[in-house]
Amino acid sequence: MAEIYLNQIAHGRSGDKGDTSNVCIFARKPEYYEVIRREVTVQKVREHFGDMVQGEIIRYEVPSLSGFNYVMQHALGGGATHSLRLDSLGKSMGSAFMRMKINLDETLEN
Amino acid sequence: MDKVVIGGGQGFWGDSNDAAIHMVRHGGLNYMACDYLAELTLSIMARQKLKNPQAGYARDFIGLLSECITDAQDNGVRILTNAGGMNIRGCVDEIASLYKKKGLTGRKIGYVLGDDMTGEIDRMMAEGITFDNIDGVGDFNEIKDKIVNANVYYGHEPIIECLSGDADVIITGRATDSTLFLSPLMYELGIKEDDWTNIARGIMAGHLLECGGQGAGGNFEYGWRDVPDMDQLGFPIAEFSWDDLIITKAPNCGGLITEQSCKEQFLYEIHNPVSYVTPDVIADVSRATLTQAGNNRVAVEGIQGRKRPDTLKLSIGYHAGYKVATMLSFAWPNAYEKAQKAADILMKKMQRKNLKAEDIRIDYIGLNSLHLGISNMDPAHVKDLNEIVLRVAIRTKDKLEAEKIIPEIAPLQLNGPPGASFFGGRAKVQEVIGLWPTLIPRDSVKLSSNILTIE
Repeated sequence: MAEIYLNQIAHGRSGDKGDTSNVCIFARKPEYYEVIRREVTVQKVREHFGDMVQGEIIRYEVPSLSGFNYVMQHALGGGATHSLRLDSLGKSMGSAFMRMKINLDETLEN
Repeated sequence: MDKVVIGGGQGFWGDSNDAAIHMVRHGGLNYMACDYLAELTLSIMARQKLKNPQAGYARDFIGLLSECITDAQDNGVRILTNAGGMNIRGCVDEIASLYKKKGLTGRKIGYVLGDDMTGEIDRMMAEGITFDNIDGVGDFNEIKDKIVNANVYYGHEPIIECLSGDADVIITGRATDSTLFLSPLMYELGIKEDDWTNIARGIMAGHLLECGGQGAGGNFEYGWRDVPDMDQLGFPIAEFSWDDLIITKAPNCGGLITEQSCKEQFLYEIHNPVSYVTPDVIADVSRATLTQAGNNRVAVEGIQGRKRPDTLKLSIGYHAGYKVATMLSFAWPNAYEKAQKAADILMKKMQRKNLKAEDIRIDYIGLNSLHLGISNMDPAHVKDLNEIVLRVAIRTKDKLEAEKIIPEIAPLQLNGPPGASFFGGRAKVQEVIGLWPTLIPRDSVKLSSNILTIE
């Protein structure tokens, strides 16, 4: 097992609705889909973000796109324009998500 | 029409016009739709209109139209936009003068009124509508006297009526972004009102186009270094028929259309992929596929739809206080320590001046202002930072409270830790507008479609 950043095997984008942030992530190769499914659990996401995300986190699976959608409530410091964060729309929540460290089987490494 | 070609000309209010003009000229379009409205845009426009009755819409659209109106006419491209914002009539008048100035008589401007329900809250309350917040928080009674605007998100019907009236340009307020795209597809192909799956296909075509460049290689994490010619980024175009939905872009422009670029936009701001709720349909994209079907061509398949909801979303903006953010920069050595010291001085001063803030936020740009608690705070890294910007933001109930902090930051150049550099001029207090999304019955909304013929 090697510890890697999630962005090495996944890509995605974050968006906002009020104080809710969604991060959709997709496997860079189909074989990474199961790795993400196993490693990037709701519990892991909660631990990763800590008090940045105050509300519920839901993970939706979209296997036909080798992708997932993580919806995180009360995640933007109150949402635009209430939020005092520099990035009140959470444009950087995607890259913050991708900074998560995960375990990858060495057989799957490039 | 068996196949409709439609382009997404704008991703937000403030977007570049270049791609829109290029696609009108070279994209082989039948239609172009331009989205200008994000969640808070209408509240901002409401405030602008209060100051100036002629403002309150996306004036940028007039500039765009002025540059491409002749090409649009020559190429038979009809244009739809929600640029009307909070002043649809004002926007229509301005377009009418533009047509006249260009000598384009006989042209028709379609417009839809009725989404602004700010003045109807009391009536609806009397009818028993409770305006419960979709997110399940707060008490409506506490915000009802502070409402800035209340606009309902609506679907295709009134837009199709404008298309039937042969409008060349259609101006709306809070039509959903995606219905600006769906409506011409339904109109041209004759998609029936209860053909949920084809309506959902049209909505998702719109969803892939409504953010402009973000659907064609902009804000693209997968391989951003490899996106060609981003200085002339093309925006996405959909080719829509009964059998196929292809996402592509105009020839001779930058950007790219790949499986990955489409994926990143596909689930963007969608929550549950089984139930993407819109006024037109509940789309189910949980089994959708995106497949490369040629150079800069992606086929979208497997979208399904279910009956639309009986309610519509009313988005209420309300006054929620004031905020201000001030900044000051520091350089090596010990940039972070100096910035922390400056923040400490500022906070003590504010305490002495009895600042009443509802929230205070201190961030260090260059270190932890974006990734917050996930940032790398390794002492060796932090100690050696070349530079850092202190940012202090406060939110207050009262405007005068927010103003207290503004004159205190620049003096820290002379009165604080060494090497502080103030930039950007004095900060300005901004109004905070809270969002209150709620659901109302469809039959409480009365929209009207109108046509103005240029004489």
